[in-house]
Amino acid sequence: MKWIRWQGVVAFVVVTGLIAAVWLLLVDAWVKRAIERAGTAALGAQVELDDADLSLMPLGLTLTRLQVTNPDEPMTNAVEIARIAGAIDPLELLRRKVIVDQMTVDGLRFNTPRRTSGAIAPRARPEAAPSEPAGGLSLPSVELNDPKEILAKELDSLQSLKLAENLRTEVQTEKEKWQQEVAALPDKTKLNDYKQRIEGLKSAGKGGLGGVLGGVQEVKQIHEELQQDLARIKRVKTGLEQTLTIFKKRADDVARLPQEDVQRLMEKYSVSGQGLANVTRVLFRGPLADYVQTAVEWHRRLEPFLSRPTDKKPDAEAEVVKPLRGKGVDVRFAERAPLPSWLIRTSRVSVEIPAGVLNGEVKNVTAEQHVLGTPLTFAFAGDKLNGVDAITLNGAIDRVDQTKPQDTANLNVAAYQLDHLKLGGDHSPVALTQGVADLNVRATLSGPSLAATVASNVRGARIEAGKELAPGPVGEVIAGALAGVKAFQLKADVTGTQDQFDLKVDSNLDDVLKDAVGQQAKAQVSKLEGQLRAAIDDKVKTKLDEVRGNLGGLDQLIQDLAGRLSFGQDILKLGAGGLGGKSGGFKLPF
Amino acid sequence: MLRTLAKLLKILNSDADPGQISLGFAFAMVAGLTPLMSLHNLLVVLLVLVLRVNLSAFLLGLALFSALAFALDPLFHQIGLAILTTPALSGLWTELYNSTLWRLERFNNSIVMGSLVLSLALFVPMVLVGNTLVRRYREHVLQWVMRSRIMQAFQASKLYGYYQTVRGWGE
Repeated sequence: MKWIRWQGVVAFVVVTGLIAAVWLLLVDAWVKRAIERAGTAALGAQVELDDADLSLMPLGLTLTRLQVTNPDEPMTNAVEIARIAGAIDPLELLRRKVIVDQMTVDGLRFNTPRRTSGAIAPRARPEAAPSEPAGGLSLPSVELNDPKEILAKELDSLQSLKLAENLRTEVQTEKEKWQQEVAALPDKTKLNDYKQRIEGLKSAGKGGLGGVLGGVQEVKQIHEELQQDLARIKRVKTGLEQTLTIFKKRADDVARLPQEDVQRLMEKYSVSGQGLANVTRVLFRGPLADYVQTAVEWHRRLEPFLSRPTDKKPDAEAEVVKPLRGKGVDVRFAERAPLPSWLIRTSRVSVEIPAGVLNGEVKNVTAEQHVLGTPLTFAFAGDKLNGVDAITLNGAIDRVDQTKPQDTANLNVAAYQLDHLKLGGDHSPVALTQGVADLNVRATLSGPSLAATVASNVRGARIEAGKELAPGPVGEVIAGALAGVKAFQLKADVTGTQDQFDLKVDSNLDDVLKDAVGQQAKAQVSKLEGQLRAAIDDKVKTKLDEVRGNLGGLDQLIQDLAGRLSFGQDILKLGAGGLGGKSGGFKLPF
Repeated sequence: MLRTLAKLLKILNSDADPGQISLGFAFAMVAGLTPLMSLHNLLVVLLVLVLRVNLSAFLLGLALFSALAFALDPLFHQIGLAILTTPALSGLWTELYNSTLWRLERFNNSIVMGSLVLSLALFVPMVLVGNTLVRRYREHVLQWVMRSRIMQAFQASKLYGYYQTVRGWGE
């Protein structure tokens, strides 16, 4: 036995025992620190543990008071868990895989206050947002304006006034043009010259045959000249008549335009009922957008724990990964029963919400679903809670095929007692002070695409709207209509992406309001319409009176030209009577 | 450095069996060249303690080979990777990969595999060559060295003081 050193066996046992003892003494602290570091790095906010206890028989881990800081509010814990306990598969642990068959999560609470700030270095965080700003409460057209104020604001946009002014200018210009043209035409003096010349020839025709023949020739010439002049007068008269007709028609058209202006202004400034058609959107869109944004943000926080890039595919060829200098590389081979590096097969969770406790199960929690081949599922339920008859929440987070991730969630809330729920934002004067709501939410997230529907029936509702909702009688009308609503339905559709989603809200509350306001505001609306009509008519009438005055001037020109034509016709008849006749005309010898 | 040389001389000049010395160095080579926190090194430590291996030689060799390992890591990586990715052996490695014990051994790491294979391959030659060298040193060199003027001067030097301080270790 020269080569055997029996005391060496003792030394080996002592040395390994000492190492094991040191490891056992320090392992809890190592685990605690590892969880805190990994959690903090993954979430971007402080993750703290009061205690971690690794037990050997059986192998298990118990974590006490896990606090996860809300990265956006460092003085608030996004999640706080009183106790997490689970048994770890020792054989798998030897293979560097943390496999927990059953885990218990007790006292999970959200948004608990912290004593110290959990902020770490600031980080850039993409904001999920609706494609339109949610905005505050701004009900459309709820105030009946003073007609004088409306006209002062809209004076430049009144089509009737604009066209009346244009017409007035045009008529004035045309009148001046026609006056010049009429002035250039042969007047009565010139026509009288023709008459005198003819009469002169008549007298001269009594002097013999030669005088008669010469007179006939001259009369013929005068006749032609007179006819030409009369033709010019006729042309101008015709043109003037046409112009006058057109202007008169346009004046009549302008006279009708104020009605169109009144309608336009009524649509813009009046409570038409139509203006209230989207009041639901105003009241509910903001809060719903906030809920969606919160859900998206929570999903984003969980993302690092839900999936990680594919390392290898099961049954694949040997794969070389992670080249690290000085540490070599790990070559991975196909596993017969592949398991992810960490897995919680079943986790029983109790969630403490203000209404009470929800109990549920989360299955197959791992960041490597593609290895496990099964999606994460969750199901929670609670009944006879404080202010809620029942809540069920279930869904799945499916990353088995990492190229087609699909997450689904269904939430049903039965008989949720609403209590002073602000509608339309924190500063809104509208509040749903009481009511009972049944709520159903179905959401699907396929890759970046988000689709969700929210359906709710509210009964026993009592809606209060403060005076600041809208000043004046219309505000009272709306407040009265809202106060009369005892039940309503709400439906919202969310489409888009996590970062940019669109929210469409629909409710029969719109119809209720539209009808109520439409009836109650009818008299006030009619009064406003009459006042606007009178005011616009008055302004347009002034312009049109001027137009019609100018058109009267054109009419006079026409009368003048008619007189000239008549006079000219008489002269023509005089000329046509012949020389030396009893009637004073020319009498030809043949 | 002086202390290390003194230790080496002390070991060589001791009455220890050459086989114990060379085995100590051979085990040190395995533990030193491969990553220290490997499962097989637990076995090495057990063997070193149970077998009558010269502990001084083992500890000295462990320090020397650990230092050498840093320089040889690229070589181990290449050897290990070549072995692990040899198609003919993939069946074997897959089998081992599905064994908890071997996964704990981290055989699939290129440096673990390369250094382990190289150190095991050199283990027997190391023992044989070590035995021969220790014997020859003692037969031919030791007496000559002790009588040489250099050794006379050495014995009067500071180094000899170190030698004296470590005398008796590992026996």
